[in-house]
Amino acid sequence: MITGVTIVVGFWPAGTRGAENLKTESRMPFLHHIPLRDAEGQVITLPPAFDEQGKPQEARANPFSTAETCGRCHEYEAIGRGWHFNAAKGNAKPGRPGEPWILTDPATRTQIPLSYRGWAGTFKPADLGMSDFDFLMVFARHLPGGGAGEPPQIDPKDPKTGRLLITGKMEIDCLLCHDSTGHYNHETRSKAMNVQNIKWAPTIGAGLGTFGAARNAKALADSWRPGRPVPTNLPAIKYDRTKFDADNNVLFQVARRASVNACYYCHTSDGQLGDARWHSDQDFHIRAGMSCVDCHRNGVDHMIVRGYEGELKDRSVTADMIELRVKLLRRDNATLGEEAAKQMAGQQLNVELGMVETLSCRGCHLGATDAKQATTQLGGRLGAPHPVHKGLPPIHFERMTCTACHSGPFPSQKPQIVHTSLAHKLGLPGPARGENTAPVIVQPVFLRGDDDRIAPYKLVWPSYWGRLKDGKVTPLPPEEVAKTDKLPAQPSDDVARDPYNTKPLTDGQIQPVLETLSTDKSKGEGVFLAAGKIYRLEGGKLKSEEHAAAKPYVWPLAHDVRPASQSLGARGCADCHSSDAPLYFGTVLARGPVDAQSGVSKAAWELRGDDKRVASTFAASFVFRPILKYVTFGSAIIVLGVLLNYGLLGLSAITGKCRSDSNSAAREK
Amino acid sequence: MTTSEQTVQKPIKGDPPPSIDSLGKLAYRLMLASAVVLAGTGIGTFVLGQAPMTHWVLMAHVSAAPFFSIGLALVALTWADSCRFGRSGSPQSGRAKALLWLILACGLFVILSGVLPMTPLFGTTGQHVLYLTHRYSAITLAAALVLHLLSLRRGRLPPAS
Repeated sequence: MITGVTIVVGFWPAGTRGAENLKTESRMPFLHHIPLRDAEGQVITLPPAFDEQGKPQEARANPFSTAETCGRCHEYEAIGRGWHFNAAKGNAKPGRPGEPWILTDPATRTQIPLSYRGWAGTFKPADLGMSDFDFLMVFARHLPGGGAGEPPQIDPKDPKTGRLLITGKMEIDCLLCHDSTGHYNHETRSKAMNVQNIKWAPTIGAGLGTFGAARNAKALADSWRPGRPVPTNLPAIKYDRTKFDADNNVLFQVARRASVNACYYCHTSDGQLGDARWHSDQDFHIRAGMSCVDCHRNGVDHMIVRGYEGELKDRSVTADMIELRVKLLRRDNATLGEEAAKQMAGQQLNVELGMVETLSCRGCHLGATDAKQATTQLGGRLGAPHPVHKGLPPIHFERMTCTACHSGPFPSQKPQIVHTSLAHKLGLPGPARGENTAPVIVQPVFLRGDDDRIAPYKLVWPSYWGRLKDGKVTPLPPEEVAKTDKLPAQPSDDVARDPYNTKPLTDGQIQPVLETLSTDKSKGEGVFLAAGKIYRLEGGKLKSEEHAAAKPYVWPLAHDVRPASQSLGARGCADCHSSDAPLYFGTVLARGPVDAQSGVSKAAWELRGDDKRVASTFAASFVFRPILKYVTFGSAIIVLGVLLNYGLLGLSAITGKCRSDSNSAAREK
Repeated sequence: MTTSEQTVQKPIKGDPPPSIDSLGKLAYRLMLASAVVLAGTGIGTFVLGQAPMTHWVLMAHVSAAPFFSIGLALVALTWADSCRFGRSGSPQSGRAKALLWLILACGLFVILSGVLPMTPLFGTTGQHVLYLTHRYSAITLAAALVLHLLSLRRGRLPPAS
């Protein structure tokens, strides 16, 4: 069942901050017919449509601030600690590795997985010399705001973050997810971000108005010198008057539960590329009428349930969460002391945390037997069917995840190329993306997780120029590589045909770049990593070999879920246990901006570190399985027959003896 | 019942003492040898705390299974008559006879609980029950086999003077 919707309503004196305690407590969403507020908390009031002389006036005013508008009633600060916003804050557990941001530069053939979370195989932006502001500008198209976009303090002398004084902070854009009209314009928001109109972007994306000046914030920031006073005449928003009523209230059609399409803007992941998209079935749960947020739920803290087994150990009840709950509890019970409220808050939050188990595949469909709550033990939330798994020995549940059989595309001999929103800018218009559009990500590849269970993964092989020093490869930012001026420039007449510059580099093109990068030996040896290999110069000749730094970054995939009838094993054991089963004997060819045959190629068993002899012998043994069944069933029938025969004879002897005894007794009488 | 009089098996004092022919002995040895492999792989893994079996151990276990079931079926056919209770002159003690019937019964459980999970008849709960049935009937079977072997060996010893 959908949990009760808690909508907060407030009427506040101007200038106060923090969420108010007026609530509707109804499942019916509160009608958000509310005033807009700017970054200073002032209600945005449009000038009259006509001035005193009767001339039409433009509806110019400051852009609205979500922190001030939405944050009047909702716990903006607590929300800002949620998964979507907390990566750069560095105070959240990283959890299971997830999809990274991938810094992609086709000109230098760079694709580097980035993450603030420190997942193994990713780089932190600072490792590449990227400031938070650089990071924001590269990925603003799909960043929801908060985190790195809202530094607690801005140093006006810092040439990078100081720009935020002009461009405005990147506040959490609540409407990105919670707009329920489907009219949020990601394209205009992205365009606004591209020209650093950061604080104007949410207003523009929401369709409330347009940027009201010829010079964008980037141009203004470029002409501003760090340390100087910030200009006060920053551009306004030209508001759409039809969105405002006479009292300057705006109707926001918002939903607590984000729509599937809102999630898809950032979380689309599709292996059916281009025109083949019409074959995509999407996730079975979505097709059955569910929403992403039915499983990926969250409270006001926006710590959205990621939904994997064992997530509980990656989550915790933090002091922030207790503080927020204490506040709510003490609103409810004024006599509650601080310590008692803390204790109660801790208990409540731990119980709620336990419910997280029910939102994984296993927890929902099978229940968690060791859980405290009855509903958690039982599973079956939202009517999730209890799977029977006829004919599947239970060892499979110990050695494989649910997703291994049910998620992603049905495995084939070669993993498929997949495009994702974050990596390929899906959701924004651009030339058609193809199989070679960087970054090349493949799925499904079956690997073992930390719990030693086999699960399907997505893989991306890092590709970058770097310097090797003391056995460590340090990536170079694309701008620095471009300065070598040795990389082949794409002919301008080829750009229209190949907009993503997908032509692979040849050895002859790699060598001169490495020679230039290796000029200053004190900085280290110039190297190029691609498709699982490191390219380096040895005695003036280009050599390539496998290298740990070139290993793929992998992260588990969980969607799209296929129905049971299309799960791995639906055709029988041979789906996995045969001599050509992709799960063991599929080939994974490393992909990157080099010739396709140059990449490292490995069998699935090899990538997992399995023993090939075991895998192939076990697969071969399944040929004899029918014979095994016939022999053992036949033997069982014989043994059963003998037992029945002699058992009946024994019974007959007993009854015969009883009868004989009774006859003898009768004769004696 | 009119036929009951004919089927009642009374101790037949005039019959020659039933003995196990060479096929029966071969069957017993086949069953015993394969049971050693099965117990070593199955119970051994369980005792060492590494259950369930995987890889080579599992393959060795499954490979020995058909030989065990054939051996068990042949033992059932060749030993059953000589192990009937009430049969006079049998060289086997009552305890040995009882143990053989226990071996046959447990063997049947072991075989069925081993092969039924390979059919699409049982779901996870059923599979788990079969797994436990297999495990514990196999342990009982192994114990019965050891005791039966000891009983047979004791039967061969000359009576104490």
